[in-house]
Amino acid sequence: MDFFKKSLDPIVALAIIAVLDIFLFLIVGAWTVGGGETMIAGLFVKSLVGAKEMNRIPFWHLVFKPTWAYWKIYISLGMGFGALVSALLSKEFYWRVPKHLSEWVMITIGGLLMGIGIRLSFVCNVSTFLGLTPEMNLGGYLAVSGLVIGAWVGTFVYKKILEA
Amino acid sequence: MITVYGQCAAAFVFGTTVGVLVQRSRWCNTAALRDAMLFKSYRNTKALLVAMMILTVGFTGMISIGNGNPMRFDVGINQFIGLFLFGIGMVFAGACTVSSWVKTGEGNIGALWALLFLIVGLFLSSLVWSFSYWPLAGPTMTGHANAAGLQFGWADALTLQRDTGVPAIVFGVIQTGALYALYRRILRRERATLAAEAQERPMSSERAARPAAGLADAVVNPASSARDALSTLGD
Repeated sequence: MDFFKKSLDPIVALAIIAVLDIFLFLIVGAWTVGGGETMIAGLFVKSLVGAKEMNRIPFWHLVFKPTWAYWKIYISLGMGFGALVSALLSKEFYWRVPKHLSEWVMITIGGLLMGIGIRLSFVCNVSTFLGLTPEMNLGGYLAVSGLVIGAWVGTFVYKKILEA
Repeated sequence: MITVYGQCAAAFVFGTTVGVLVQRSRWCNTAALRDAMLFKSYRNTKALLVAMMILTVGFTGMISIGNGNPMRFDVGINQFIGLFLFGIGMVFAGACTVSSWVKTGEGNIGALWALLFLIVGLFLSSLVWSFSYWPLAGPTMTGHANAAGLQFGWADALTLQRDTGVPAIVFGVIQTGALYALYRRILRRERATLAAEAQERPMSSERAARPAAGLADAVVNPASSARDALSTLGD
C-alpha cells in the first residue's frame, strides 16, 4: 500500500481530520483529549480501591462518574490503536527508550504539568485549538493565550537547559 | 438519536483515523508552537491553522442552522492558568496529548511515560478539586458570570447568534479571515527566509570546504544543537 510507504503532508492530514471532526461535532461533540484520560484514571483507581471508596472523593461522583460508556475514552484509545497499525504497516514501529536520566525527569515533570493543566482548565490543547476556538468560545481565546505563553516559557527553559 | 454505544463506536473510528493520519504526517501540536518559536519552522503551525479555519466555518455553519453539539462551557481564568501549565508541560515532555498517544503506538516508551504521568497529574488534581471545588466544573457551571469563581459566564458563537440575531457563520467567516491573515503572514515569512538562505548559499559552499567550520557553527549556534537534541525525542 503506497499510503504507508511515504509521509503525508500535515496540512492534508489536518484538513481531513477537520472535516471528520465536523461530522463528530454533529453526532456527539468536537474532538477533545483529556476527558478520556481522566475517565481512564478514574476507572483505574476505582478498580484498585472499589466503588465505595471512590464515591468518597467528591470529584468522582459530582464531575466524572467512572464509566466505560464514555465516548472520549475511545477517541484516545483509537489514536493509539491507529498509530500502532499505521506504524506496523509502514514498518516504522520500533521501541524507543529515552537514553538519559534528564530526559526521564523532563518527561515526568511535563506529563504531570499537562495533567494538572487539563484538570485546572477542563480543556486540553486539542479542545483549545480545534474545539473551543472554532466554536468561538471566549474560553478558547483565553486558553490559546495561556498555551502560547506557556509553550514560550517552556521553550525558553528547555533551550537554556540544552545550552547548559 | 445515537446510542451511547454508537457514540463510542463513532469516537473509536474517528480516533483510529486520527492516529493513522497523524502517524503518517508526523504532525505534532507541541512542534506547531515550539518549532515556530525556537527554529522559525512552521510546517506544523500551518497545518494547525488550516484545520482551525475549516473547523471555524464548519462549526459556526452548523450552529447557524441549529445543528451540532457545541461545548456548554463557561469562560474562566482557570482556562488561562491551566493551559499555561499545559504549555510548559508539553514542551518539557516533547509531546502533547495527541502525539503522546501516537508516539506510544509507534513504540516510544518516553511518550507512554508522559501519558502515565499525565494520568497521575489528572488524578492528583481531582483530589485537590475535591477540597477546593474550584474551578467550576461542567455540571456546576451556571452560564452566568460568577466573580467568586473567577468565571465570566458562557460566551460562544451560539450565544453571539442568540444575542445579536446575526447568524453564527458571519462571525465564523470573520474569525476565519483573521486566521487566514495569520497563515498568509507565515507564508510571507517563510518566503523571506528561503530568499535569505538562497543568498547565503555561496557562503555555505565556501564553509563546506572547511570541515572544521561545522563544529564551530554548533558551538556558536546552539539552536542547531538544540534541534538535533530535540529530534531524538521523535517529533
